[in-house]
Amino acid sequence: MNLRALGVSFPMQPVGMYSRDRCVTGVHGLDEILRGGIPYGSTVLAAGTCGSGKTTLGMEFLVRGANAGEACAHFTATEPSVKLLENIRQFGFFDMKMVDTGLINVFDMDVLYSWLGLEKSSFDLDDVHSLIKSIVDIVNTIGVTRLVIDSVTTLCYKIKSEQLIRDFLFTLGKKLATLGCTTILIAEITSATQNAHWSSFGVEEAICDGIIVLGDIERMGHLLRFLQVVKMRGTSHSRAKHAIELTPLGVMLTPMLKWGAVNDNLNRWGS
Amino acid sequence: MAKDVQFDSEDEEFFGSVGSFGVPKFDNEMRGGVPRGFTMIAFTDIGSGSELFAKQFVSPAEEAENTIYISTNEGQAEIVRIFQKYDWPLDINVRTIGEEYNSNVLEKELLASRYRLEGFRLEDIQRLAQTRFVEESNQDYLTEVTNEVMALGPYFRAVLDSLDFFLQRDDPARVIAMVRMLQAHAQLYRGLLFISVSTDGLSPKVKQELSSIADMVLSFQVRTVGTDFETSMIVSKFRNAPENLKILVFRVTPEEGITPETVERIA
Repeated sequence: MNLRALGVSFPMQPVGMYSRDRCVTGVHGLDEILRGGIPYGSTVLAAGTCGSGKTTLGMEFLVRGANAGEACAHFTATEPSVKLLENIRQFGFFDMKMVDTGLINVFDMDVLYSWLGLEKSSFDLDDVHSLIKSIVDIVNTIGVTRLVIDSVTTLCYKIKSEQLIRDFLFTLGKKLATLGCTTILIAEITSATQNAHWSSFGVEEAICDGIIVLGDIERMGHLLRFLQVVKMRGTSHSRAKHAIELTPLGVMLTPMLKWGAVNDNLNRWGS
Repeated sequence: MAKDVQFDSEDEEFFGSVGSFGVPKFDNEMRGGVPRGFTMIAFTDIGSGSELFAKQFVSPAEEAENTIYISTNEGQAEIVRIFQKYDWPLDINVRTIGEEYNSNVLEKELLASRYRLEGFRLEDIQRLAQTRFVEESNQDYLTEVTNEVMALGPYFRAVLDSLDFFLQRDDPARVIAMVRMLQAHAQLYRGLLFISVSTDGLSPKVKQELSSIADMVLSFQVRTVGTDFETSMIVSKFRNAPENLKILVFRVTPEEGITPETVERIA
């Protein structure tokens, strides 16, 4: 039967117009860059130099989710949770009640290691699997939809083989995706210039669904923070560098103008 | 320079130059008892009665607060039961390392295995999210025990039953260093120190070193005679008194505990 002949009209649609549901980050400017947010269940590597705003970005991502009633989890390996919470309290977007009421669950990796009997300098395959199982257990049991691990670099230092790091990230990402949990893995890098790797071990960037790079750029004598989405599977996005401002209200992103940078050849921001 | 310890003349008179083993017949065989300042090492067979002898050794407890019984295998309840049974003093210091190790280390390891195998329950996760600091669990029992004995004053009486716990977990050289320190402390403070160690799995080198440190070496042995067990105690070293080297066959009586029956001289 020819429906057109029957006068039934079809709106014109290009093939492949399917769009994945998004996890709206709530971070000012980031959802615009990502054309609506991070595709649900993605594992995103937020790689940045020290002081570039990785932890604040990760925490704001959780807070915005908690504001919308989502259960969130933060695994901290780089600083004690007590210190993390004290530092984050200065931001207006954060409310300690979110932690008290269990909307944001902050876990110290040291405590988790101790509970699992993983107080050792290096992890073997069994250890890695029990770590994955525990994280997945937590996500599954309390229905976590937003997860931040800060930092995956510190965690991976204990995993001596590159293959094991790959297995760890791949398996963890796969299981979290199955549970519909959008994850930000924070990674520490020493340089955010164009030739740098976006991870310490070289494998994180290949496994993750998305890469957000954070770094500093010198401009007219000032050190500016920038953010750039290098890769994000499942969505189109801007690849331009954006200036980050860490304000009391949270992270604010603004497009970076293409002038005034020192060593413009090295820092092709705004490209 | 060696420490100079002053002894009260009244104490000297009260404690005398020898102390009791806690076994009167054994005291007689050893010409009065054990000289103050002596460190005794007992090499033991399983089931040879050395644990009972160790308890009997602290039973004279001239000064209860200056007497300590350290057990690595038994629990408090069992020790108290034996002391009550023989009517030995209950006010001495007792430390049960085995029990402490079970609760501090083994229970934690068991829980870790449960978490790894069965995962976290909701209440575990809630507790984990509220736990901000790692509990300190790296207890150095060897150092603790050494410090505890070395904190005892003149004429102390101490038992460490047994050294196996430390030899299985620590570097033997470190354990021997500890025994050396304890021996020096006993000598300086005219204390009496009894240390047991089982012969099973003990390396000849460690045995030789322990024997050379000790002022008195005993061996507790058990063998079958017909359908019975025969327990014996062999004194194979007695510093400056080779005439005390003997083999003593003993039995355990409900009234006196370890009771030597027949004696055979070695030298």
